[in-house]
Amino acid sequence: MGQVRAGPGPDTVTREAVTRMRAAPLSPLAAPALAGPGLSVRLGRLAFLAAVFLAYAIVFAPIVMVVVTSFFDQEIVTFPPDGLTIRWYLNAWAQRDFARGFLTSLQIALAATAIGVPLGTAAALALVRATIPGRGFINTVLLAPLAVPAIVAGSALYMFYLRAEDWLDMDIKATLGGLVAANVLITIPWTVRLVTASLAGLDRAAEEAAANLGARPLTVFTRITLPMLRPGIVAAALFSFVASFENLELNLLLVGPGRTTLPVAMLSYLEFRMDPTLAAVATAQILMVTILMLVTDRFVKLSRIV
Amino acid sequence: MFALILPAVLVVAALLVGPMVLLARISLNQYSATQLMIEATTAQNYLNAVADPYYRGVMLTTLVMAFICTALTLALGFPAAYRLARMESRWKSLVTVLTLIPLLVGNVVRAAGWLGLLGNDGLINATLRGLGLTSEPLRLVYTPGAVAVGTIAVVLPYMILTLSSVIESIPRAVEEAAANLGASAFTVFRRVVWPLALPGTVAGCVLVFILCMNTYATAVLLGGSQFKMMAPAVYDQFSKGMNWPFGAALAFILLAATLVLTVLGTALLGRRYAR
Repeated sequence: MGQVRAGPGPDTVTREAVTRMRAAPLSPLAAPALAGPGLSVRLGRLAFLAAVFLAYAIVFAPIVMVVVTSFFDQEIVTFPPDGLTIRWYLNAWAQRDFARGFLTSLQIALAATAIGVPLGTAAALALVRATIPGRGFINTVLLAPLAVPAIVAGSALYMFYLRAEDWLDMDIKATLGGLVAANVLITIPWTVRLVTASLAGLDRAAEEAAANLGARPLTVFTRITLPMLRPGIVAAALFSFVASFENLELNLLLVGPGRTTLPVAMLSYLEFRMDPTLAAVATAQILMVTILMLVTDRFVKLSRIV
Repeated sequence: MFALILPAVLVVAALLVGPMVLLARISLNQYSATQLMIEATTAQNYLNAVADPYYRGVMLTTLVMAFICTALTLALGFPAAYRLARMESRWKSLVTVLTLIPLLVGNVVRAAGWLGLLGNDGLINATLRGLGLTSEPLRLVYTPGAVAVGTIAVVLPYMILTLSSVIESIPRAVEEAAANLGASAFTVFRRVVWPLALPGTVAGCVLVFILCMNTYATAVLLGGSQFKMMAPAVYDQFSKGMNWPFGAALAFILLAATLVLTVLGTALLGRRYAR
């Protein structure tokens, strides 16, 4: 999302000078012009703001809706609600499909993050710091899991697992190991992407200074490089965890009876009914993602990396 | 240094590249009702998929859906991205995080929200009934329109974030110069902002188009049983039909169509505006 840049970077000096010079803001789309704009200008600005509002309304309408309906007192979602309650949250946890789905997704996402983040970080470090032949190609391969449609990659893994089960004479599909392996395909590219982005902004001078003062390479790495990288790694870990936890398509063919992830359990439930219990499960996820992203933003400004 | 890269590359090779090669090989096999699959080298599965009017319809639905959704997402996303890019206060980082959160909340969660909004007893129908505008509920959910709205809601954050990072890099002074020289707001947009933002627009549209082509949860949950797109069709072949060679062929047709159209689109747009 963030690699695209058009033309020259913002010329901050010029921009500041212009900001100081101008008496009234003149940017035609962003701020009101001089006193008394014409009707067409005002209508244009109104249409512009309406479009901005509409875009965010469409994005947030379903999310707000889910949160609101999770508190409705009746079992079938109708408007207006009879009353408000929090009992659906308890009911959701009592439903075995959701509770077990939650625990399975948690296990998978944690394990996939624990495996994918070190691998991705090591690769990103080498890709940015060393001059390796075929660097662009390796980068493409590592990011490829994000480019291949998840349903296609999931079908390929499904066939691969069935083949491997024949060869090795053991269960792979619908096992914890099989699902974790699939989800590492999500955590590696996200880690490579986020750690690469945070590495690009780092100054090498501190590392060189440490080396000049006699620190061995390992000491430089553990005492200088790793601490500087920590925000990037934390962001990568949180991002990878969320992306794996919320994934539906890649896991869809790889789950089985007895071991299902939360998004798959929710999908099968929703194909029959939408009720406040499901809304409660969904709201819990919205809350989790929101908290994790706000924490991530404290480590690395998300506006800089996405 | 290779020792650092190798583990990650090996994992991706073993779990993505290898299985994709296997899937390609399977797409050339023959389906058998008794033995599931017979080793063969035939293009029959691809020919069957292209010749079958049902799957031609599914492909057409997917393409039309992806084009409409991409166009509408661009139209809706550009103003929002411009507003975000030109924000200067501390709100900017908050709005960025707010734009990012829906992107990470699963598609299933958001489809649930649309079911609550668009259902027969949902908020929209209840409001219309309450106002006395309708007596029968409007059929909103399980329509192509519902899938389009649901898909646009899913992909809009990608478009907004991609576009805003590009618009941010356009110096504001350029716009101000055009405005000072007498250009109207629309002219500034058409002659200055749009051409300079074009690389980002192409990148955003390509990303969104790929996501739209591969819509799964939104299509299944909001489209109903009559509405079929490619990704659910691929899934059905593997899970219900058990016709793996045909499913593999459908998967590669979807992949190829997406790839060809994005490459073609990038080249066309790039050439038209390249100067």
